[in-house]
Amino acid sequence: MTKTTHTVSVTLNGEKKTFGTRPDEKLLALLRREGYRGTKYGCGQGTCGACTVLLDGRATYACLLYAMQAEGREVRTIESAGTFDNPSVFQKELVAAGAVQCGYCIPGMVMSATALMETEKVLEDEIVKEYMDGNLCRCTGYEKIWVALRKTLDRQAAAPAKKPAAKSKSSAKGGKK
Amino acid sequence: MNRHEKAKNFKQVNHSVTKIDALQLALGKDSYVADFVPNDALIVKMLWSPHAHARIKKLDVSKAEKMPGVKAVLWYGNVPRIAHCTAGQGFPEPSPYDTFMFDKKVRFVGDRVAAVAAETEEQALAALEVIKVEYELLKPVFTLDEAMAPGAPVIHDEAEAHVPIPIPYEPKKNLVAHVACEAGSFEKGLKEADFTFDQTFETPYAQHCPIEPYTSLAQIAPSGRIHITTSTQVPFHCRRIVAKTLDVPVQKIRVVKPRIGGGFGCKQEVLLDDVTAMFALRTGRACLWQFNREETFRTGRTRHPFRIRLKAGVKKDGTITAIDMEAINNTGAYGGHGLTVVSCAGSKVLPLYHCENIKFDGKSYYTNLPVGGAYRGFGATQAFFAMESLMDQMAEAIGMDPMKFRQINHIREGEGSPIFAALGEGREGTPMTVGSNALAECIVQGAEAIGWEKRRDWRGKTGRYRRGIGMACLMQGSSIPDIDMGAASIKINDDGSFNLLVGATDLGTGSDTVLAQIAAEELETATAKMIVYSSDTDLTPFDVGAYASSTTYLSGEAVRKAAADAKRQILATGAEMLGLPVDQVFCEDSAVRSKDDKHKVTYGDIAKYSLYQKNQYQIMGTASHITKKSPPPFAAHYAEIEVDTWTGFIKVLNYVSTIDCGTAVNPALAEGQTEGGTLNGISYALTEEYLFDEKGRMQNASFADYHIYSMRDRPPLKTILVPSYEETGPFGAKSVSEICINGAAPVFANALYNATGARLREFPLTPEKVLKAIQAVEVKK
Amino acid sequence: MKLSEFIRPASLPEARKALRALGPKGMVLAGGTALHFMPGKTTVTAVDITGLGLSYIKQKGDYFVIGAATPLSDIQRHRGPRWAMHEICRRISTHQIRNVSTIGGNIARVFPWADLPVVLLAMNARMVVYSGKEKDIPADEYFSSQPARLFRGGDLLTAVKIPVLKAHHGFGSVKATRNATAFSLVTIAALLELKNGVIKSARVAAGSGIPFPQRLKPVEDALAGKEASTAVFKEAAAAAGAAARWVGGEGMSADYIRQLAEVSILDALERAAEFARGRAA
Repeated sequence: MTKTTHTVSVTLNGEKKTFGTRPDEKLLALLRREGYRGTKYGCGQGTCGACTVLLDGRATYACLLYAMQAEGREVRTIESAGTFDNPSVFQKELVAAGAVQCGYCIPGMVMSATALMETEKVLEDEIVKEYMDGNLCRCTGYEKIWVALRKTLDRQAAAPAKKPAAKSKSSAKGGKK
Repeated sequence: MNRHEKAKNFKQVNHSVTKIDALQLALGKDSYVADFVPNDALIVKMLWSPHAHARIKKLDVSKAEKMPGVKAVLWYGNVPRIAHCTAGQGFPEPSPYDTFMFDKKVRFVGDRVAAVAAETEEQALAALEVIKVEYELLKPVFTLDEAMAPGAPVIHDEAEAHVPIPIPYEPKKNLVAHVACEAGSFEKGLKEADFTFDQTFETPYAQHCPIEPYTSLAQIAPSGRIHITTSTQVPFHCRRIVAKTLDVPVQKIRVVKPRIGGGFGCKQEVLLDDVTAMFALRTGRACLWQFNREETFRTGRTRHPFRIRLKAGVKKDGTITAIDMEAINNTGAYGGHGLTVVSCAGSKVLPLYHCENIKFDGKSYYTNLPVGGAYRGFGATQAFFAMESLMDQMAEAIGMDPMKFRQINHIREGEGSPIFAALGEGREGTPMTVGSNALAECIVQGAEAIGWEKRRDWRGKTGRYRRGIGMACLMQGSSIPDIDMGAASIKINDDGSFNLLVGATDLGTGSDTVLAQIAAEELETATAKMIVYSSDTDLTPFDVGAYASSTTYLSGEAVRKAAADAKRQILATGAEMLGLPVDQVFCEDSAVRSKDDKHKVTYGDIAKYSLYQKNQYQIMGTASHITKKSPPPFAAHYAEIEVDTWTGFIKVLNYVSTIDCGTAVNPALAEGQTEGGTLNGISYALTEEYLFDEKGRMQNASFADYHIYSMRDRPPLKTILVPSYEETGPFGAKSVSEICINGAAPVFANALYNATGARLREFPLTPEKVLKAIQAVEVKK
Repeated sequence: MKLSEFIRPASLPEARKALRALGPKGMVLAGGTALHFMPGKTTVTAVDITGLGLSYIKQKGDYFVIGAATPLSDIQRHRGPRWAMHEICRRISTHQIRNVSTIGGNIARVFPWADLPVVLLAMNARMVVYSGKEKDIPADEYFSSQPARLFRGGDLLTAVKIPVLKAHHGFGSVKATRNATAFSLVTIAALLELKNGVIKSARVAAGSGIPFPQRLKPVEDALAGKEASTAVFKEAAAAAGAAARWVGGEGMSADYIRQLAEVSILDALERAAEFARGRAA
């Protein structure tokens, strides 16, 4: 194991945590090292989406973030999306639709979809495709993932009251207002 | 009732039962090799050859060995030199033994040179940098023509290279394989034709792009045995091949496949496990090797590029009088799968249409380029591009609608083909008459879904954007008869649940679920009662692994037989408990019931009785299966495209995949296979390619530069399952997973012709190629 | 390039001071995506500028002002009077990249495949550079050669000013790619000013397919004073061949890329003309 020389404090899945790290350590490596292994390595180059996590509510590639970029920010991983007893609506729909084949892309899909549902009010096909265009899948042809997603979004549109508060755009980079 | 109506009465099979591991995977639970790595595992990194063809004159690892964190270095000087084949095939393999763990020669950019195991990735990479290598560059061979030329550089000049079975192999000529057959007389048939054709087609490299890269973890168990946890399609072949290359007994090795993140054929190969196992042995530590994405592209297995020359003759009435297919594949630097892929180009394509005079000649050649392996479709994909392109041209010559031309010529139920017996995989094939065949129905349903009746000739089309409709008919096979074997065992637990143990390999296909459904159907119980454990060479019975579209047809029948064996025992004990003769009881709904339906004992009751109470024994069924035929699934694919005749860009407006897989054991999973394979075929035809520089180095080894589709690219896809019933398959099933990738390339080539009059005989259909071809047509006008 | 240290200056002057002190061992980090691909072994300190309030989009008089650390997805989602930046931004890479990559990152060090320089050249944007105080640099000057030259001494890009499009002005862009998220084969951006159906002025820029983003003067000259019609656009597009050095890519030839560029110019001009006439943007 590499020795850590710095620390980074993040709110990870709702809990404040401080981890040892190094300036050149990627967030993906830190997460997996600390036991959050639902976030996957697929390319390490920011092209496949298997490592998608939410950074202040925005879908990002954990392999293209230095861990220290997350300082003071909110990170959410697939572990926050659902549990065996209480999977998220999208996770349930994915299972019901037969959309999970090898499953390697699915955590990333779930995180990108989460960002979509929390950020956009209008959930037209074009917007949905833009939100999902950074998550590659080679098994499913996307068909059943799309069916499950569309069902989840239509259901949400019909019952908007339960949606968590959308993040305001300008707070995403944590700058001075 | 139609035989396939039988399937409608099944209780477990032919239902879209929830995939057993779907929720676990959707939640991101530990499932894949990299999720099970001990904290103190060593990290393995490989030094890859920068040269396409070279001898290693000097290799000095002494500095690397002393680098911080380095625990071991492997190179040709400190490992056994044992010729083997990395292809995951049955033993003895129909492939040359032309590979060594490390060699003194490198044969493509990305070949192994030396490997390091260190405490951290950084330390391993730093150690690679101080390995000193001196190469003597050799003249490389980059094309089939260069490989075949007299006096060409010999890529495999080592004394040890040989084939373990008596098949043609001439490494001094770079010839890896040669298989040929003829039925009737091609020359005679050609003379009977009104129109003759002679065309050559080329198909390109591609990579499978599983989202999980190759990953292998090896550890030494407390017992001293080697435990390999690996992302593989072939755990048993892996065990055998690693034993051979390490020169240790098979008994010493255990291979386990957890969940894997896709394979599509590239993991039907032993590419990492010999090295991780050797490192584990040398260091006593757990050793992890995971390819990065670039390595997966450059050094992983690929699809064999082909050159296919098709000669044929057709009569005005539509009779195909003669077909001659000359197929040559480029198998790259090593020969695994070279013979079997070229054999399938013939065996899985030529039987599709009636023809009394068929000639086939298949060859495989070495080049100093990335290595061809098993890729979904396995030669049929490449050959269908040629065959289905030619079918359209033959139809046009005789003035017949291309759909009608196929309808009058395709193989029917009850018919055979001389090709079935003539072409096997490394040996003669198996004669077969086609049982289930719903191709006629596939053609009709697909045509209706695409709107075939609105198809018009290209000559009337004008304007910048022009539309065209194309089609292709397809077949594949299901298992390799007489050669491959699968086995299963099933045992009952106290509560009437069962442990189903199978060697069969789920690579995300859902075979664990499909096999559970088959077992449950046979046992008259619910799929939810099955606990499936698969692909562990210590604990599960043998299975060749996931390839050749075998798992449902071959492994599924082994499961059904094992379940039937268990069912006999359940009936016997249930009868004993009810005090009735065995022929007076039957199984239904997880219970044994008396024929008058007045008495029953549940499977749970039977289990507790037999495990604890009287005449105790473990109810357990075991069975093996080999298949006697390879019943083809059939498909008809259609697409409508729009061509921008000013830029050559193609937009897919609509794509229809019909599929006859016999009974769809799990319709949702069968659709999923078809949808995924179809989209893969679409990007293979339009946007995927390997771009090499003049030194044989692949230039576009990342998803940024090698284009597969995202959700934003996918065209409207319609999938239609057309049922039939294969009597020889478990509950009527055949196979589904490969055939769907074969359609897009010929469909688009035909649709492009229908839109513009431009006929391309190679792909991907890049905008430049399309534009050039269109401009040539315009000039001719 | 390897990160050995990570600092977060609290103000613009502090950031500039740190960069001046670090010299070539300091790198500005906004989104940071480009840093992962920089070759070499030099150890570098990341100077994180995301805490400096440089992420915003506002209208100030005749300009839209976009902070240099504004993520592309914010620009993609923004709407304003005759706003045209979303057309290209929604085509850049993938969703996750757009959430993290910033406009500043796209133009402070220009790679041949960058799209925003093309758009900003066409729009006659102005780049704001901080060297102790802020200074506007017009696009033609800023992109006259590799802009990284301006930042070697520790100066920072702080904002991009884009003129609000007036009436009768129209903007159109085309990005030709093999699939939706791929790098561009050729990117064209055009700004037209129409008066009574005649082209009063034109700015046409290209990127990808050529070594560096640039305006296509011969194309612009062939438009000025002429009727805004397809025939005129076609003839102007044909001047593209001589206007720049077209380069092959993705296994396709330079000649094909040039042909593709000509069609893309035509399409971009049609879009710009429609925009100017007040129809769909």
